[in-house]
Amino acid sequence: MESTSVKQIIDECKKKTRIQYTNKGGFFSPKLKSINHLEVGYSKIISNPLTIFLERLYVVYKNLRNWFNSVKERWFPRNPEIVGTVKDAYLTGVISFKEKSDVRTPIVHMKVVFWARTKLFQWRKLAEGYTDHEGVFNLPFDLRAAVKWANRKNLIFEVEEIDSIYFDKNKVGHHNYSVFHKQTFPKSDLIGMGYNLREIQLDYWNYRTDTIIPRTLLKFDNGDTIQSYTQGRKDALIEQIIPIELTKLKHLLLIKEDSDKISHASIQADYPINLTQCIEKELPGYTRGDEWFGERMMNGMNCGAFMQDPENPDVYMIKYFGLCNYDHNHEFALPDVTIYFNFNNKGIPIPFKIKTVGALNAINKDQWQQREFTPADGEMLWLAVKRLARSVGNVCTEVDEHFVGTHLNVEQYAIATFRNFKHSPLSILLMPHMREVSLINEGADKLIIKGFLPEGTALNAKGLVKRAKDLLGMFDWKSWRPMKSISEDHRYAQAENIFFEVVENYVNTFFEQNLKGIISHWDEVYRFSQDLVNHSVPVFLSDVDLDALPTNERNQALERLAYYKFQYGFDETVTREKRNNQLKVVSPITHKTSISAEDTEDINNLKRACKYAIMQATFMHTWINEHQYDDLGEVLYSCGGLRFGDKESGVLVPESDLSIAPNLTVTTQQLWFANFLSRTEYGFITKNEDGDVNPIFTELLESKRADFDKIGVSIDDIESRTNI
Amino acid sequence: MSEFYPAHKNKLVAIFDKIILWHTAKFFGFLIAAFLSFPKRNRMSHDNGIAGLGNLKIVDNPEFPEHDFFKAGRTFPIRVRHATATYLDDAVNGIRSISLKFSQHHFKSPFDIEMNTGATTLFWSAKSFLMFAKTRKEKYAVCYVDYIKKYPQGATGAIGAMRRNPSSFTNLKYYGKTPFLFKGTDGIQRYAKYRVVPEKEQLETGLQLNPCDYELPNQRVAPHEKNGRNYLKYEWEDRVKKGHAKYKLQIQLVTASHDEDPEIFNNMFPWDERIYPWMDVADFEITETLDWKESTISTFSVNNMPESLGIIPAKSIYDYNSLNYMRAHSEIARKARLLSLKIFGMVPPIPNNDNRNNEEWGK
Ligand SMILES: [Fe+2]
Repeated sequence: MESTSVKQIIDECKKKTRIQYTNKGGFFSPKLKSINHLEVGYSKIISNPLTIFLERLYVVYKNLRNWFNSVKERWFPRNPEIVGTVKDAYLTGVISFKEKSDVRTPIVHMKVVFWARTKLFQWRKLAEGYTDHEGVFNLPFDLRAAVKWANRKNLIFEVEEIDSIYFDKNKVGHHNYSVFHKQTFPKSDLIGMGYNLREIQLDYWNYRTDTIIPRTLLKFDNGDTIQSYTQGRKDALIEQIIPIELTKLKHLLLIKEDSDKISHASIQADYPINLTQCIEKELPGYTRGDEWFGERMMNGMNCGAFMQDPENPDVYMIKYFGLCNYDHNHEFALPDVTIYFNFNNKGIPIPFKIKTVGALNAINKDQWQQREFTPADGEMLWLAVKRLARSVGNVCTEVDEHFVGTHLNVEQYAIATFRNFKHSPLSILLMPHMREVSLINEGADKLIIKGFLPEGTALNAKGLVKRAKDLLGMFDWKSWRPMKSISEDHRYAQAENIFFEVVENYVNTFFEQNLKGIISHWDEVYRFSQDLVNHSVPVFLSDVDLDALPTNERNQALERLAYYKFQYGFDETVTREKRNNQLKVVSPITHKTSISAEDTEDINNLKRACKYAIMQATFMHTWINEHQYDDLGEVLYSCGGLRFGDKESGVLVPESDLSIAPNLTVTTQQLWFANFLSRTEYGFITKNEDGDVNPIFTELLESKRADFDKIGVSIDDIESRTNI
Repeated sequence: MSEFYPAHKNKLVAIFDKIILWHTAKFFGFLIAAFLSFPKRNRMSHDNGIAGLGNLKIVDNPEFPEHDFFKAGRTFPIRVRHATATYLDDAVNGIRSISLKFSQHHFKSPFDIEMNTGATTLFWSAKSFLMFAKTRKEKYAVCYVDYIKKYPQGATGAIGAMRRNPSSFTNLKYYGKTPFLFKGTDGIQRYAKYRVVPEKEQLETGLQLNPCDYELPNQRVAPHEKNGRNYLKYEWEDRVKKGHAKYKLQIQLVTASHDEDPEIFNNMFPWDERIYPWMDVADFEITETLDWKESTISTFSVNNMPESLGIIPAKSIYDYNSLNYMRAHSEIARKARLLSLKIFGMVPPIPNNDNRNNEEWGK
């Protein structure tokens, strides 16, 4: 087939299956004619009256809620003016992070507000201020204004957090605050002079203590809650998930009640068509071919790291490490896979050899058995081994790169950001990109790590957590660089580089404009750096005695380390710090609590760390996330794990043998997830739904629109934060 | 702007403030009389004390503006009473006091002044004093736990005012804390604070050198304490006999002004000694101690003052001057106690026994 027509068909299918978003009401109600309806419309569920009813119900609820909130705002505004004349009394106390240590860490620069409400429920601000370096607040107020008869019995003390960032007409960023903690006390307690609320310990952006991975504590015992999804994000999620949720529910019910009436094909048909199915319709067999395989490994969800073969510079390898001794089940195959490529004249990597290490059937479970496959082994085997490689690649991409490399990696920067940046302009720079990642990660723990992955892949929850800890030990801002493009078709790497250039300009410009503020609040940077280092995981293998391992394991560990170093731009030679005898993976940004403009090394470190965190939270995450439906939206083409079955041929059989394919439950779950994750994206840079994207960033990105278009990437698809 | 603590801007509220203050003071005085002074024959706090008689002489060359009452060289027979607040045990960590009366009568006098150790105390207005009283929960010599926790000045006051095991009543400094009026012969309105210090400068004993936040409410007799329940009173008796109980009465003055910051009346802020130096008013000496009965009926009142040295008017229960206003209105309690002592007889003296850390008298 002519390559131009292949390209045309692929482009056409990409266009057809592209997920687009509108802001208008429910997207699947036929009357609303939104774009997604056309696709989801393939599903029979979508025109189901129940779906439409539920969607209408949600719209009614949303309108009611918005109306109620606006009434509340109008009738009971929180007047910003401080009442009273003399300041003859003061409210004091200290705010600290709730923790087990004898001396708690103070929460510095936290906003605190002291309110009265009148008997007619009007808000009267008595005082406001911030905690100091010791976490102490001292709010002078007018005693008589606080105890006056017109006020209600109890006065309100609130601890506020920066909830979101917004930009004014002059492109200057500001904070929106929301109440994090509230407590009341009777006005009759006030007797003049000081009133001491004493130590208020808050579970504010605290680290979880049940895991070595830096995770946000999201369980609270006194009604406090940190950060929630923006209302827009919640609405988008609910509206978009109703039809796919109903689809899945129908499948699960049928599987339970009437399994004869449901099959892989019927499940697949209920979900919207994806890229590979679309291409298969036009070009049967193309998506199972070598060219498509290499193209997707390079520019699809996998965005693989092509390592040059030291012995043959024309050969490139991608390595996926499977079980690696992590806790696992025995239902699915997850061998180590090395794929060898040559580039064709279009710059597309063409696989010519695939090496596997590990079990491929249920009979021989030797985890060190090695096999090698080439096209010469016959079409059936070659197709099957490519399918196997795809499935191992999916696990590695989803777990190592997507979940660990972006979600967990970003979360550690998010916690340190929200714990520490209050007065520093860095809150304006980082918060929009750091918000919601902790929330989605908490969701991922339940739904994916403890839910889907143990059921649909070889790894179980315990193994996944250990793997996550190991992999996180390869991510550091210090030596990271975007991937080098190795051929004219390497569009992923090209896009990553253009985007990183944008991020660099964005951060550099921001620093130029805000350097004074950043330096004058450098103490916040110091604590940010301390939190990052103290809570980061140990460097991969730094806590393992390699000499004590059996040879096979030791070799595998070293091979992983070498490949990961290449893949994640990790430099083990940079000076890292130890805490509790652990070599911490995240490099310190600064050792100083205050600096001057001459301390360029510290400032440059900070810039690089910011660029890194923003890059991971935006482009790096979006790429994998948005391509999930392209590459995981057809179960027989690609899945999270092929079952061993009970034959000696194991996983090396054609797609038509459904005994190795995921079972029906896993099938609908995989498609549900792929839809859910790719389809409910929200918070795009250019669309700026929540108004928190820095206009400098948008302008810089817009200036590269044509460059991105040239390589088939739409900047409108890139999210400003990791939230799905 | 008022010369005194300003009344509320809203006239209606100001009137209301005054009514509340009057009622509060009267009601409080009545409560003390009805539930403490009359039935129990107790003072509000300073039951554990010893009185003595002596002489006082106004200094020959006063540095303070001329005043008809404090005329240079004038002498007065005096009655003085030292006490330990709250507990019937000299060895507790407690506030110590001196009350001075410009007469040797147990009640009548042209000038009384009551002072406690420490330049500041634990309350500063009628409102705060009522809270102090309300939150009091005495148990085995631990008392103001909630108050000290909630009110930072309660804590600083406790540190500043309490003395643990002072070696003598005579080496402590006693402060009147609340300001009074002072109108001299020049007719200029001034405010005055008084204190009593040892005749000769000496090291004050019993100070809390390393106060601990959560231990502040703990006034208990320290473990392995050797000092007995009456050790300070005994020491004072011996000292008076030897002629070593000599003191100075001093005064600090601030000229009244219409744009005065009301905080000038706040007894929690000592006036800066560099700007408002302490000046000697009089020297006095105790020549004989009185027995338990005479000590017990010795009674002092802020109402025993010439008009030109009287209390500063108060506007509300939040006004810092409301403390003295309340004292002035608690005359009923003093009288009720004396009446009760007459009717029911004398309270027993404090036994020198091992009944420690107990609010009760003990047998
Ligand atoms: Fe994601």
